[in-house]
Amino acid sequence: MNVTKSLAELCPLLIDEIYGELPSRIYSTLITRGRSTLSQLRHYTALTERQLRHGLAVLIQQNLLYFHTDSDTRTTTYEANSRPAYNLVRTGKILEMIETSYGPAVKDVMQSLFILGQTRIEDLKAAYKVRIRQQDEVAGATEDDIMFDGAEVAPAANKPTLPVPSIAKLNNILCRLVETGLVEVVHVQTFASPEDIFSDVSDRVMRNKFPGGVKGAKGKLEFDEAVAMELRKIRRESTTLKRKLEESGSAAKRRKLLNGAGVNSEHEPEGDPVLDPRQVIRVNYDKCVVELRNRRLVDFAADRIGTHISYVYGTVLKLLSKHIPRCHDDPLMDVGEMRDEDTRPRVVTTNEILNSLPTAVDVSQGVAKVSKNRIDIYSATAVRPNPPATDPVSAILNGNNEEDGGSDDDSDYEGPNGHPAADDSAAVDGDGGVRFAETTHKENRVDMLRQHLYLLAESELNFIRHCGEEQWTVDFKPLIQHLKEAELDVVIEHTVGRQGLRLVRILRKRGKLEEKSLPTIALMKKPDVQTKMLEMQTAGFVDVQEVPRDPSRTANRTIFLWYTATDRCISQLLERTYTTMLRCLQRLHAERRKEKDVLLLTKRTDVKGREQEVMAEGYYQRFAAHLEAEKKLLGQVMRLDELVAVLRDY
Amino acid sequence: MASLASSRAGTGEDTPKLEILKDALYEEMIQHGDQERLYNQSDLMGLNVIPKNDLSLLLNVIQGLTADQLVVAVSDSRAGIAWRYRSREDAKKYSSLPDTETQMVFALIDEAGADGIWSKTLRNRTKLHDAVLKSVLKTLEGKGYIKDMKSVEHPNKKMYIKAGLSPSERATGGPWYTDSNLDEAFIVGLEEVIYNFVKMKSTYSRPTKQPTKGVVGRKRTANDISTDADGTPTPAPVAQGPAGGRKLPAYLPYPAGYTYYPTAREIAEFIARSGITNNTTLSEDDVQQLVDILVYDGLIEPVVVARRKGYRTTRITKQEPDVPQQDGMEEEEKRLGAEPPTNGYVEAPCGRCPVYELCEEGGPVNPSGCVYFQRWLGHD
Repeated sequence: MNVTKSLAELCPLLIDEIYGELPSRIYSTLITRGRSTLSQLRHYTALTERQLRHGLAVLIQQNLLYFHTDSDTRTTTYEANSRPAYNLVRTGKILEMIETSYGPAVKDVMQSLFILGQTRIEDLKAAYKVRIRQQDEVAGATEDDIMFDGAEVAPAANKPTLPVPSIAKLNNILCRLVETGLVEVVHVQTFASPEDIFSDVSDRVMRNKFPGGVKGAKGKLEFDEAVAMELRKIRRESTTLKRKLEESGSAAKRRKLLNGAGVNSEHEPEGDPVLDPRQVIRVNYDKCVVELRNRRLVDFAADRIGTHISYVYGTVLKLLSKHIPRCHDDPLMDVGEMRDEDTRPRVVTTNEILNSLPTAVDVSQGVAKVSKNRIDIYSATAVRPNPPATDPVSAILNGNNEEDGGSDDDSDYEGPNGHPAADDSAAVDGDGGVRFAETTHKENRVDMLRQHLYLLAESELNFIRHCGEEQWTVDFKPLIQHLKEAELDVVIEHTVGRQGLRLVRILRKRGKLEEKSLPTIALMKKPDVQTKMLEMQTAGFVDVQEVPRDPSRTANRTIFLWYTATDRCISQLLERTYTTMLRCLQRLHAERRKEKDVLLLTKRTDVKGREQEVMAEGYYQRFAAHLEAEKKLLGQVMRLDELVAVLRDY
Repeated sequence: MASLASSRAGTGEDTPKLEILKDALYEEMIQHGDQERLYNQSDLMGLNVIPKNDLSLLLNVIQGLTADQLVVAVSDSRAGIAWRYRSREDAKKYSSLPDTETQMVFALIDEAGADGIWSKTLRNRTKLHDAVLKSVLKTLEGKGYIKDMKSVEHPNKKMYIKAGLSPSERATGGPWYTDSNLDEAFIVGLEEVIYNFVKMKSTYSRPTKQPTKGVVGRKRTANDISTDADGTPTPAPVAQGPAGGRKLPAYLPYPAGYTYYPTAREIAEFIARSGITNNTTLSEDDVQQLVDILVYDGLIEPVVVARRKGYRTTRITKQEPDVPQQDGMEEEEKRLGAEPPTNGYVEAPCGRCPVYELCEEGGPVNPSGCVYFQRWLGHD
């Protein structure tokens, strides 16, 4: 990941927020100075070696560093890993997502894993054992609701009921987490930076398979493939546990048993293999992001089409993403025909969707009912076996003749019998909201489900694709591109207004346009267009290219071509979002400095927890106001993270 | 023709014969096409007026006609030198002009047709002195042969057009211009009409009196179940908050393959029928232009069903239900469509900060002392 200035400032702040100043200072040095040895670090930070080792241990425990020990010199270099550092901000969101989709018990285990960074299964179990014992001792405590609010510290012993009542249950949860891929194995190479791994692997491949060096284009290709295979082998290391579980079979069977009993019941499922207690595990952010992406897409569909349809969409995404380990393919590893089984696009059938759709989702809602003669069934059910063109150039070329582009898709279209002509009488029905005239048969669930799916597929954004009879798939890449553009459009609209957005959209669709043709297309006054364009150029949304018609390069002999570079806008927006997050956190620090005396007071053990009773009225008011501001700032950082996720991770 | 003898033209000995030929050729040219048609030499021979394909005779005849201003020579890149005829009234106008300068200027203005011609172009083409040109133009205007005009493309240029012609669409800017100004109120008004029409035709509006009890009940169960086994990804926006508190969407989308989404043509017909545009007629292309604007604005989207490009409202379920028009709301800027979505960036003070680029911790503008944050956090 490219580390820019604002990100390099943001990550240490996040670490400071959670792990304190020492790790944050070391991290900040590493991220600005690049990889360093211990002695270099001592030189840069003016910390003692003891302090440094302490801080580095924390950072490594939390997976925030890469390190590499040179085999010859026996010196170790450390390098900042910015992605997990950034991911710290997402912890709360992931936990919330886990809780809503897997239940509070699973969330509790995930939370422990987050706090521990990486842990041996043995240690995790021991920790839970202690807690369970304490729980037994304080049995009969008050009956309060369990609070699950974000990144609070793990439930201490005074919690009335533990979400994880027994070790067997813990084991079961861990098995499930490993199976879904949310938890992965930590292995030898986990802490080697991708560059190190790559150079290591290519050296080895070079030595073993190509002792005479790589010759020609074909040789280069073979070499790349061999390297990719080795890299994939290393990547698969982290899923060893998952595959072991899958091999032990009966995964589906166990799952079924579990469902039958219900997760929240006291039932303790038998037959879960006990995981190797020495195995070290940690949270797999890549998979978490896949699940977060599903949620974001469901929201997107809810916004564009409707809430009810988004329920169905959620189910489709869930089914598809079972086998998606990460959002982005690795450009080094996932190339050629020999890619991992997992990264190939998947399809789901209507029946699978129906089987997984929660029974409480009412598919009869959300879509208007109209008489059958108003529906062109051939268009609605058209099968599109090929993904849409992602190439922007061809998209622009096709953009002007959409009818032609469309006809490729529904080439098997045959007009329904006497379709529009005969319908004059039906048109009298007013706004077309014709109800099924005395429905003779109740439409069955699967038909209604299909309606939802067709509507999703019909949308301009292609939420899903009907890729074969009764088969559905999602083309994530173009869809996410739409999502990114949608977010960008929100920003454009709020910055330069709807007319500005109109101009940008025109440019996006038509490519480069001469200044004179813009007012005609946008139906705006010429001076208005010019002011708007200049405003947007300042904001970085559009740019102008000057093409002189003769060598004199005078203004009136020059063609001015406006264009918009969407990808550049997106990366610029991402950068600005980082900065905004940074400013929010900096402001939070400033707020804390301002209310230092109040906050010091609340740290006293005799005040903590009883602030309202103990503190003086004025002080308490200030404390409450500060908490309010803190909540607002941190909440805003979370919302900004949502944007970063869309622009960068999904 | 009665004025045969009085004709000034004809220098050869057999003047009467020439006059007859001239008339005959002129009549034949009128018979074979309108004033735009170009006749080259062989075309003229083909009219079978000139006996024995006598080229020199043709030359004389054409020369005579030209002198009478009845025929104009043009040089066409494809056909070489050619001629076209001019109506007798126009010819009379030309003949009545006092000198060649005036004729030249009038010819240029005549040639420019409905697009009109810029006075500066006239000067460059004719190479006349400013004062001469001015007086010539004055004469022409005085005779009522030409008039000045305004073009939307070049609002500041002084243009002339032949009297009796109305400026072309290019010069007036089509229906969107009133007195060569872009009529924005007209456009905005029409956009609203179109948008509402599309909305009415492309969404199913839920009857307002529908009892919501049953639906709410069902929804709640959906929420319960979504936290249930096997990790159903929850539809996030609904999962939180009590189900009863949520508003049901006022509009619903039609099923896929709906064939009654209005097309641009239907919209044009609707506008023509409704008589909103009382003295302007909008062609389908004009309406298409407006529809495209709405698409660019993200208010409606095209749907191709059965090779028929219809339009429907975007974000149907997010539309606010129709509120009866309130007159008091007019002063505030009305906007079409649902509330625009927002995101974390535009909500934060930095997203709309005018000094964003300058802001840095320790600088003159910094987050710690930022007034926008101050206001945003409610510290005022």
